[in-house]
Amino acid sequence: MAYFSGLSDALRITFVQIMILSTIAIVVFLYGMIINFQKWGSGVTGYGLEPQEGKKGSAIRFLKTWWDQVTEESHHHGKPILEVLILDILFQRRILKRSPLRWFMHFTIFAGWMTLFALSGMMFGVEMTEKIGIELPFTPAEFREMLAVPNYIFGYILLIGVLIAVVRRLFVSEVREASIMYDWILLGGVFLVTISGFIADGIRTGFIWGFGLDPTTAPPAALFHSVISLFFCIAYIPYSKYIHVIATPLAILANKGGE
Amino acid sequence: MAKRTPSIDTKNLTAVQLMELDSCTRCGECVKWCPTYAASGQKPGLAPRDKILRWRQYMNKSYGVKARLFGPEEIPQAELEEFKDDVHGCTTCGICATVCESGINTVELWEALRTNLVKKGIGPYGKQNMFPKLIGQYHNPYLLDQKDRLAWVPKDVKIEDKADIVYFTGCTAGYKQLALAFATSRVLNKLGIKFAMLGEDEWCCGSALIRTGQMHINDLPRETAKHNVEAIKKKGAKKVLFACAGCFRAAKVDWPRLLGQELPFEVVHITEFLADLIKKDKIKWEKSIDKTITYHDPCHLGRHVGVFDAPRYVLSHIPGVTFVEMDRVKEFQRCCGAGGGVKAGIPDLALAVAESRVKDALETNADILSSACPFCKRNLMDGRDALKADIEVEDVIVLVAQALGLSVEEPKQG
Repeated sequence: MAYFSGLSDALRITFVQIMILSTIAIVVFLYGMIINFQKWGSGVTGYGLEPQEGKKGSAIRFLKTWWDQVTEESHHHGKPILEVLILDILFQRRILKRSPLRWFMHFTIFAGWMTLFALSGMMFGVEMTEKIGIELPFTPAEFREMLAVPNYIFGYILLIGVLIAVVRRLFVSEVREASIMYDWILLGGVFLVTISGFIADGIRTGFIWGFGLDPTTAPPAALFHSVISLFFCIAYIPYSKYIHVIATPLAILANKGGE
Repeated sequence: MAKRTPSIDTKNLTAVQLMELDSCTRCGECVKWCPTYAASGQKPGLAPRDKILRWRQYMNKSYGVKARLFGPEEIPQAELEEFKDDVHGCTTCGICATVCESGINTVELWEALRTNLVKKGIGPYGKQNMFPKLIGQYHNPYLLDQKDRLAWVPKDVKIEDKADIVYFTGCTAGYKQLALAFATSRVLNKLGIKFAMLGEDEWCCGSALIRTGQMHINDLPRETAKHNVEAIKKKGAKKVLFACAGCFRAAKVDWPRLLGQELPFEVVHITEFLADLIKKDKIKWEKSIDKTITYHDPCHLGRHVGVFDAPRYVLSHIPGVTFVEMDRVKEFQRCCGAGGGVKAGIPDLALAVAESRVKDALETNADILSSACPFCKRNLMDGRDALKADIEVEDVIVLVAQALGLSVEEPKQG
């Protein structure tokens, strides 16, 4: 059962292979998130308190403390939760206020990354629907074609942001000098996933990003892209700077949009 | 082999604060704006971003995946001591929170980290460790007699025994910067505002303890908050006026939180009170102050609780005043350097920050650098003197008193 339209049977990526890899990625992600939630949950539940004697960090404690802070009344800085969700988290107003260029860079990465992730999720959903025998008005192959244009658009949006980020970190001295491995791994991962996606697609379609590579290399290129995407986009999140995609929105919500 | 225990613990650090460590994207905005980092000659350890990075690493070494699998990694005591020095080299001005793209509440993070370390026996910094003893024993940080709380009150000032309004003087104005107390009390008298004072029942607001990570010691801040609130209630006050930004912040934010309930009276800064009277046309100015004045926002009045406009409104309504703004104002204001225990613990650093702020004022060619906090005034004066700059440093309420034709001097004896 082919997941990706490989050109030879030997190099065909099967649905089972992808499912196994995805499951591994999700398990690794969940394990890391549980550890993080427990680490955060080793904190106290309120201002000026101490942890309870003998109690280990608990994910439930973290979630409860976070929710209590989100819903508590604010003395000065608090903004309505909907405003925070739309303007501070989705639109990333706090970055825009500080640096329009950095906002453009981050917003294009965010919009590209999240939309491609969502499109991949939709594609996965259609494949799964077909596998369990539910009939849809289109086949998975047709649906893939329908997604081709948005995939390209958001792929290029992502690419623009990633290239700005790479140039900025490499050539702006104050950014380069302040960078540590924690930062480089994040950017390197995003760059690798983005570029490998373009190349895998280019080899398959024969367009410019294929760089004239042998079409038989399309399946392994796609496999490589899939594996590192699962690694950087899912599995590695809790163990790296990628955690900010979860922690930052939670922090902004907890602090009602910040000061 | 005995199981290793983590070198740090999570006392006083909330679950959300621990998450905030992982939410930092290291954008570097806090580094660009931090006044102590700049005034220290860019000492790397003072950069807020660096402090967050280090404590995140400590947390991961102690409670992260590797620690879970192989046991916690030891953090040398010297490293924690150095961290303590750096986390105390912060005025808790809050500019890092204002510019933080992740919306981290850094002020409370620094205070929690300080308390956490003090509980571990690491810190506070220098003379800051005298605060609990002084405030616990004398109820003020100046080693002065509580009986002298009202010793400054001149005969011409009329204080009610009970009134709807209480003027909470604060230790600094009541013992050290009497001009502020003279000005506030005489202005209120002149405007026909009846007010009471707490006298011996006024205890330190507790700010110095909370800001320096010593809030847990004998539960003093809670005790002082409870005592002050009860004393204010006994006076029958519906509104409490503060001319000290530090006390104002403590009463507005810290007291309700320490006591776990809203206060049964309104907490108002004197500039807010005066601005309201000006709007109601209840102030008749008597003198003109023909000078150019700029205004320094105290962190505890501005960024911490959002009072930016009232002091400007008051100043710009004083006859003859030409009001000018400095480069960094309101929520982006540069701290004077005195807060967070830095003046007491690291005076050289406090002075260096004050010099930067006085330079901001000098660039406006103002005659007077005003503020609305006795602590800011003290440190800005020190900065002015160190620079040998020709600029007057004065509190807003003192300027108001002058414009109302009032003296802010102690009456001559005899």
